[in-house]
Amino acid sequence: MKGTLATRHYDFDAIVVGSGISGGWAAKELTEKGLKVLVLDRGRQLRHGSGYYGEHAPDWKLPYQGKPDRERYARDYKWGSKTNAFDEASLRFWNNDRKNPYAEDEGKPFMWARADVVGGRSLLWGRQSYRFSEQDFRANEVDGHGIAWPVSYKDIAPWYSHVEKFVGINGKTEGLPQLPDGEFQKPMPWYAIENTIKDRWKEHAPDVTLTNARVAILTEDLPNRAACHYCGPCHRGCSTGSYFSSQSSTLPAARATGNMTLMADKLVEKLEYDARENRVSKVHVIDAVTRERLSFSARIFFLCASTIASTQVLMQSTSKEFPDGLGNSSGVLGRYLMDHALDLSGVGGFFDNLDSYFHGYRPLGLYVPRFRNVGDQDSEAEFLRGYGYQTMTMRMDWSTTFNTKGFGVDLKEKLRKPGPWFFGMNSFVECLPYKDNRVYLSKAKVDRFGLPQVAFDAEFKANEYKLRDDARRQADRLLKAAGAVFSVIGDEEELSMFGAGIHEMGTARMGDDPSESVLNKWNQAHDVPNLFVTDGSFMTSSSCVNPSLTYMAFTARAADYAVQQMAEGRI
Amino acid sequence: MNRREFMQCAALLVSGAGVASVPFSLSAEQEQFLAAADNYNTGEANYFSDAQRRIVAAMAEVIIPRTDTPGAIDAGVPRFIELMVRDWLNDEERAIFEAGLKDIESRIPREFGASFDALDSDSQLAIMETLEEEASSSAWYRFGNVVRDFVSDAPFICQFKELTIHGFFTSERGSTEVLSFNMMPMSFDGDVPLDPGASTWAARIQS
Repeated sequence: MKGTLATRHYDFDAIVVGSGISGGWAAKELTEKGLKVLVLDRGRQLRHGSGYYGEHAPDWKLPYQGKPDRERYARDYKWGSKTNAFDEASLRFWNNDRKNPYAEDEGKPFMWARADVVGGRSLLWGRQSYRFSEQDFRANEVDGHGIAWPVSYKDIAPWYSHVEKFVGINGKTEGLPQLPDGEFQKPMPWYAIENTIKDRWKEHAPDVTLTNARVAILTEDLPNRAACHYCGPCHRGCSTGSYFSSQSSTLPAARATGNMTLMADKLVEKLEYDARENRVSKVHVIDAVTRERLSFSARIFFLCASTIASTQVLMQSTSKEFPDGLGNSSGVLGRYLMDHALDLSGVGGFFDNLDSYFHGYRPLGLYVPRFRNVGDQDSEAEFLRGYGYQTMTMRMDWSTTFNTKGFGVDLKEKLRKPGPWFFGMNSFVECLPYKDNRVYLSKAKVDRFGLPQVAFDAEFKANEYKLRDDARRQADRLLKAAGAVFSVIGDEEELSMFGAGIHEMGTARMGDDPSESVLNKWNQAHDVPNLFVTDGSFMTSSSCVNPSLTYMAFTARAADYAVQQMAEGRI
Repeated sequence: MNRREFMQCAALLVSGAGVASVPFSLSAEQEQFLAAADNYNTGEANYFSDAQRRIVAAMAEVIIPRTDTPGAIDAGVPRFIELMVRDWLNDEERAIFEAGLKDIESRIPREFGASFDALDSDSQLAIMETLEEEASSSAWYRFGNVVRDFVSDAPFICQFKELTIHGFFTSERGSTEVLSFNMMPMSFDGDVPLDPGASTWAARIQS
């Protein structure tokens, strides 16, 4: 490294806080560019392969043969257990919500589902991976909600390609402007009933597209990772590395450079600000096991601790110059919190294709890309932006019909055979950025390390409800067009709890104007040039598509920029 | 070397491949791989009396009898029920179950002249059908009422059926000899001809 600061002694060239989706990418990119990198994670150590203690365990080996341990989950895993990535065979990856609480009695209800292992939620994510479109990047400036993104699709497209090739995403190219195609592995096959539905939509609902969910699961081998073996429950960990996680992919790549030091059980307390040089000089950590306090210096810092946790670290990192949180001269830190509102908008039953069955457990469903407010279409709609449907196809079996009358041979026969097909449509609704949706530090409550707990004050508003209502109306139309013999449309009045999408975003948003954003277009803090934040907190708007791929692309791009800046001696 | 020891060795070999800056050892918890665990329904049970065990087994067998494939007793369902009643039901649910079982234990000999398990199969079925008839207005039977953990105020017969059916189709023999089971399918095909007599796949999580 050249430059004036390079001659000084630092413990590391770079420190990455967090080892999940974003931290794994920061570690990989920075180490591969030659930097000595320390990766810190608050979670316990977990090894790829050997740490997946529940992988390939059949139901009859599980406690209670898979029935949930209700009392324990309610006590210790209040939020994790509400997700579909939670069971006895993945429970040890999740945060213990009793030991590590947040201030739930303040503000408004919020579901914060956290992992507590190295690799973070990359072990537990839904793996759906979509590009934001140019329409998504332009949405704020077009309709005036939030601030303009400081980047356009064409700035990010090469970085999407860069990460997609390494991640391994199976999907189908569709040529849709609202859902740009990427670098795909071959798509997984469909159930016959899904082809039936697609054919009927071609005729009766030609305005929608039914395509494969684009998912970070291999259908073709990559180095050290094998194509999916279709065993089913991905969230228990995958020792063949068939789905992308930090454990299977980015951390091994970083480790292979010899440049990574990874420390587990290290909770970040504070980033120390050096006013004289206007830079972060050190990270202060608490060992979660021994309570020992340590600090490490570095030339640059990447915060990748997840949206809420990174924002929490910045808020805790106060100084004379930054009394309201590091890099928060704009005052927007913690604000514009977004999540995707989820709604099971409709489920349909089908008596078609009953003579067709399947082999293997396909770990994904299909996807209906946004079809409302695309381009100039639907200009009369009473809502802004849109939603997409993630679909799930299943055949009824004993587990969905056990509460039936009768006994004996007839019952046994009925229960062992497949019933009709079901096709469910889950809408993922874009959330506008609202200033008063926020996370903040509780003044009343501290955690077991003496650090302030976070509290949430966020809610979905009229536009999200209107989108949800439209998603239900459209699901009704689409299930009828698909030939469902019966369908049930969502009728819950309330939307999903804020946070339940587990797509929390936006509390340190990026923008061109330092007076209304925390980060610049390179994920670099406007106020503190050697600080980068590349998890979901940088998001300026939410789109309706799953955001992790976007975090990865921006992380790789920021790492590239940071190393250039170091080489030029600027940071 | 037994299977459990083999799995643990394999785990240690895998874990040796990486490099960490902090000393790493498997915790006692991590050493226990669920795939190498004993079957849940072979766990030590000490909750029912011998007489109750015979009744529970007979009732479970009325629900899922042995045919040309294993029945509830073959699959270890009675032990599953005993473990679940002891360890899994909450106090309210356990009280309902115990009252229901005590009723069978004391009433049936009075009305039928012998314990439930000693009656002929027609009498057993008639008793079970009467229990179901009496419970038929319960919300438990409502169509689609299956996506939940349990119905805490469900009548005894509904509890019994749910535990029996779950215990059977998630057991090793129920999954592999009555349903179809394949832990490592290796491929996915969404359009395979279905033989009219074929069973479903054992339940696994799918999208």
